[in-house]
Amino acid sequence: MLPGKNSEERKPVDEVEIKLNINGNVTQVKTEASTTLLYMLRDDLGLTGTKDGCSSGDCGACVVMVDNKPVNSCMMLAPQAEGTTVITVEGLEKDDELHPLQRAFGETWAFQCGFCTPGMLISCYALLETNDDPSREEILTAIAGNFCRCTGYQGVVNAVQRAAAELRTKNEDTEKTDV
Amino acid sequence: MSDLAIVGKWTAAPGAREIVTGQARYCPDIQLPGMACGKLLYSPYARARIVKLNVSAARKLPGVFAVITHEDIPGENSYLYAEPDQPLLAVDEVRFQGDAVAAVAAIDARAADAALAAIRVEYEELPGIFNPLEAMQPTADQVLKGHDNVMMSQVYRTGDVDAAIESADIVIENTYRTQWAEHAYLEVEGGVGLVDHDGGITVYSSCQAPHRDRMQIARALGMSESMVRVITPYIGGAFGAKDEAHVQIHAGLLAHAAQRPVHLIRERRESILTHVKRHPMIIDYTTAATKEGQLLAVKARVIADGGPYSNSTHEVVNKCGEFIGGPYNVENLEVEKIAVRTNNPICGAFRGFGAPQAAFVYESQMDDLAHKLNIDPLQIRLLNGVETGTKMYTGVVVREASGMKESLNKAAKLIDWEKRDEIERNPKPHLRRGFGMATILKGAGLGRGLNDHAGVVLEMHRDGSVVLKSAAADMGQGIITVMAQLAAERLGIDIASIRVARADTEKAPDAGASCASRQVMVSGNAVLEAADSIRDTLLGLAVRKTKISKDRLDLRAGHLVVDGKPHEMTVKDLALRAGVWGYPLHAESISHFEYPTDVPEVTYRYSTEVFQFCTHIAQVLVDCETGQVTVEKLVAVHDVGKMINPGGVYGQIEGGIAQGIGYALTEELIVQNGLTKNPSLENYIIPMAFDIPELEMEVIEFPEPVGAPLGAKGIAEAPIIPPAPAIRNAIYDALGKPLYQLPMTPERILPVVNLDD
Amino acid sequence: MEEFNYLAPESFDQAVVAKSQHAEKSRVIAGGTDLLLRMRDKVVAPSVLIDLRHTSLDKILISNGVMILGTSASLSQILENSEITQHFPALQTACREFAGPPIRNRATLGGNIVNASPAADLVPPLMAYDASIVLRASGGDRALPLAEFFTGPGQSVIAPDEILMEIQIPLLPASSAATFIKLGQRRSMAISQVNLTARLSMNNSDCVTDARIALGAVAPTPVRAHSAEDALVGEKLSEDLIRMAAKKAREEITPISDVRASLEYRLEMTEVLVRRALIATWKKQRRTKTSG
Ligand SMILES: Cc1cc2nc3c(=O)[nH]c(=O)nc-3n(C[C@H](O)[C@H](O)[C@H](O)COP(=O)(O)OP(=O)(O)OC[C@H]3O[C@@H](n4cnc5c(N)ncnc54)[C@H](O)[C@@H]3O)c2cc1C
Ligand code: FES
Ligand code: FES
Repeated sequence: MLPGKNSEERKPVDEVEIKLNINGNVTQVKTEASTTLLYMLRDDLGLTGTKDGCSSGDCGACVVMVDNKPVNSCMMLAPQAEGTTVITVEGLEKDDELHPLQRAFGETWAFQCGFCTPGMLISCYALLETNDDPSREEILTAIAGNFCRCTGYQGVVNAVQRAAAELRTKNEDTEKTDV
Repeated sequence: MSDLAIVGKWTAAPGAREIVTGQARYCPDIQLPGMACGKLLYSPYARARIVKLNVSAARKLPGVFAVITHEDIPGENSYLYAEPDQPLLAVDEVRFQGDAVAAVAAIDARAADAALAAIRVEYEELPGIFNPLEAMQPTADQVLKGHDNVMMSQVYRTGDVDAAIESADIVIENTYRTQWAEHAYLEVEGGVGLVDHDGGITVYSSCQAPHRDRMQIARALGMSESMVRVITPYIGGAFGAKDEAHVQIHAGLLAHAAQRPVHLIRERRESILTHVKRHPMIIDYTTAATKEGQLLAVKARVIADGGPYSNSTHEVVNKCGEFIGGPYNVENLEVEKIAVRTNNPICGAFRGFGAPQAAFVYESQMDDLAHKLNIDPLQIRLLNGVETGTKMYTGVVVREASGMKESLNKAAKLIDWEKRDEIERNPKPHLRRGFGMATILKGAGLGRGLNDHAGVVLEMHRDGSVVLKSAAADMGQGIITVMAQLAAERLGIDIASIRVARADTEKAPDAGASCASRQVMVSGNAVLEAADSIRDTLLGLAVRKTKISKDRLDLRAGHLVVDGKPHEMTVKDLALRAGVWGYPLHAESISHFEYPTDVPEVTYRYSTEVFQFCTHIAQVLVDCETGQVTVEKLVAVHDVGKMINPGGVYGQIEGGIAQGIGYALTEELIVQNGLTKNPSLENYIIPMAFDIPELEMEVIEFPEPVGAPLGAKGIAEAPIIPPAPAIRNAIYDALGKPLYQLPMTPERILPVVNLDD
Repeated sequence: MEEFNYLAPESFDQAVVAKSQHAEKSRVIAGGTDLLLRMRDKVVAPSVLIDLRHTSLDKILISNGVMILGTSASLSQILENSEITQHFPALQTACREFAGPPIRNRATLGGNIVNASPAADLVPPLMAYDASIVLRASGGDRALPLAEFFTGPGQSVIAPDEILMEIQIPLLPASSAATFIKLGQRRSMAISQVNLTARLSMNNSDCVTDARIALGAVAPTPVRAHSAEDALVGEKLSEDLIRMAAKKAREEITPISDVRASLEYRLEMTEVLVRRALIATWKKQRRTKTSG
């Protein structure tokens, strides 16, 4: 938390109280109404995985899932997230195990500096939630709002396809055991 | 060490886990107790006199800890470059839109904004100087009082250019223009300053050169360098611009003034308006050749607009001149290098240091020549290409140049160059398809005569784990992985047992800047040397224990290896033994870029002597009604000497190509009368995923014989260089008409389409 | 961003009451993808924000031969709706070429309209489909053709106490087809340099019975190219006729130069793209005819 949000050194601005589910935890936050979801996550909750590359909707570094859809958290006010379910990059890992997508990103060098990665991962995660065998075209569509300056997006396409294949085998296995 | 266990193999990046889980901390992510928000006040004018600057109201606002102007800088008020001519905070005049005037630290962003708003600056706008050609005139008003507007003017000559032109069968002369380009790394410039318990200052800096930052910060604070520490956290891209200091110095100044931690992160708009760009250049270029296509002479004049301050302009323009003849055997060459001060945006280092501008020109000109002489573009390049042993126009004898022609031939094969006419050229009445190639060279290292060294510290602990301390900044280009791989290779361990500490001036010796594709070579060599010293100790212990002679021993996959077979003794055992018996497994090594001395005189000043070669071939489709260009295909063949980390190499190539495509087609800072009209990612058009075709990349390896670790000569800069000329030549092929200006936007292409033949 | 009071009324009625109460001082926020940028740049500084998220205005349905789209329908919702695919494909094309998925998940149809950008991508297709809109204030509703809504860049006839409620599009006869074309500086995440929709209805002898050409980013507001439309109606379609109509469209517009394109380029492109859109639409017509 940034210092002095409620400091006496300055007249405090009215705060709103927001309750939402973040990465599976019901969370209550007090913040200014003009705070964006991005800065509520980063400053008020210390979830700095989600990045700010422009604060104008143009780069996708800030993409998080809100109610199962990827959105730019810099283009949403914190109070607009009241009652929603949010997933950030910090929430992809389950029980200390990386999501196949996270592993694939590392293995295929889907990043270099990694600053676009949190948003890119969420956009790709959203795609895999609805499509377990995406084509190159579908992957490009999913990341059409995610800017990466270091790579040529090729590694991302490879990573998503690798993760999709892994998820399909996993699902087949569970289906088999179900039968 | 013939077959390598780790070098050249795919490996996940160390740090990948932090990145994919969001745990990696970049400057904006640093949060410290009591941390204030820092902001700078920038000039809205391209040129103005500061009539009055009053910060007293701002200082009195609640929640404001410090407001500083040039008067409050304890040390030197300037950035440190070839000429320390850029003030950290303006004194009496602002000379570009973005010159910083004052800095504040306050309790939060809102209070900092209020403080900025309360600073009273009275400006008197002055007529600016925006056209470099006018600025060059002796009668022009000085942009920086007491400094000539021409900040650099040098001529380099070899051979007899005029005589060669006189005797040539064909002479081609054109003028080329390039644009201001924005680095647009995703993490904008930033720094965090804090006061140490002993009054020293620590700065977390998003930078490429931590030790140089330290020097600059100490200089501004009037402190000794020993009182300043610079740490680089994760860095979200840099591409040269973070080789130039930015707000990290102000973060240090503010922390000192406020006596508390200060977080100073630019906004995207500020970043675009205030930090360095790629130099726009006007290049006149004359080529003389025989009718068979043999180059006889090149004559060039380069005029670069550097903005008001020098930054890295000298280096960039010098490098542009160094490569102005391309990877060709040109016996007679003359290049005039001019850099000019204006009130336009400041310019500095950007991936390639002037080589992209040069390559756009020499490779475009090569195709013009090929068209005029009706020679195949591939053949004319093969005819003129440098070879191993060629003495270049710079006086450098190329020690290994096989990659030049090999990359041309391989790329031609990948795209089926000979059969390109069998592809539909005119798929619809308004669509034209074309193919174009570009082949380039880029030198690695800073250049002969320049201080180019790097040090590392390597320690193996009793349990066999290793810490590698280096101050080489990793901005995503992957030097950390390369260093870990090299150390692991020599120590016979896997890279997971190596922890590479992120650059910190207090932990590791100076490694210089991560620029000029140099770190793989200099830091790489330092790592090899340090690792070999530890390896020696380990093997010495093994000899004592096994009584087997050293030349039969090796370390591999965690084991001692005897005659190629794993021995039961492990590297861990040896490390433990060393610990118990008191043999320190600690090595420090400083490596200097090696320049052989037994060579003919190198006449071009600060010339590089290790060259990356590569060839790109683009297939484009031009819409002749809208002027839009689609890059349908791009093949790239790169000679990297020796590939250490394939993931990193291919990543650098594809990322460079993406930037090169943007440079070719869409990226342009629109500057009118010194004011930038598109300071946002909405309007500065960078390629997104759909704008990059599926790429075909191939790496070839011709190890550099001298001074390169295992022959590796780096990769970072080369890939951004050929796309622009390759695409330009493809458009030429498609339309039958050439272009001479970047970027090749639809609005620049349409008039060319409509030109009468 | 200046501070404000954030309201999220539980029903549309409450939102309407709040809007009339706070009138000029307030702004409706839907997706926020336009409004937040303008608030950050201090172009607007409302003291009250009225969020429509609980007002259930995102329904898309057909009733009495009219498709009704709630103002808060997101672009993604429009893209996924199969009835829109069937009846108003050009609107979907516009959505598909709009920004990228994360913006499309937030941005709304109503926001695109009320924002009144001359370059708004959804307006030309809506205008070409003869859409009208319904505005509600505490005093009652008013409906008007979308084409009459805009008065200038960022300017419209909406009153300070009004909220856009829904967009209505009459279902079209099968003899009608439309084409949306957008010219941008890259393939995604691009604001239009020129955008347009052409719609044609034709009889069996290739004669144009009805024509709409709606253009964006080439005038202070989205505009119809009336004289180009007039030139088409009643005529037998031919390439020459189309070329002539495209020229007329070019003569009708009044573009400006900005960082995205010059005035000259916009003029030139309007002619090229109107021609292309008309030809594409003509081809679609033929296809639907031969197939059924
Ligand atoms: C990165 C980015 C890319 C974009 N790309 C495109 C693009 O390709 N094409 C394009 O056309 N636009 C684009 N836009 C602009 C924007 O996304 C669209 O205009 C979007 O449709 C606006 O919808 P919204 O719901 O976000 O509007 P908001 O921002 O919520 O509102 C916009 C305006 O409309 C008012 N308003 C909204 N709903 C109502 C209502 N029901 N009644 C009264 N007033 C209302 C608001 O008060 C505000 O003044 C882009 C924006 C961004 C940030
Ligand atoms: S930070 Fe949100 S899109 Fe760039
Ligand atoms: S990895 Fe650096 S921006 Fe994508």
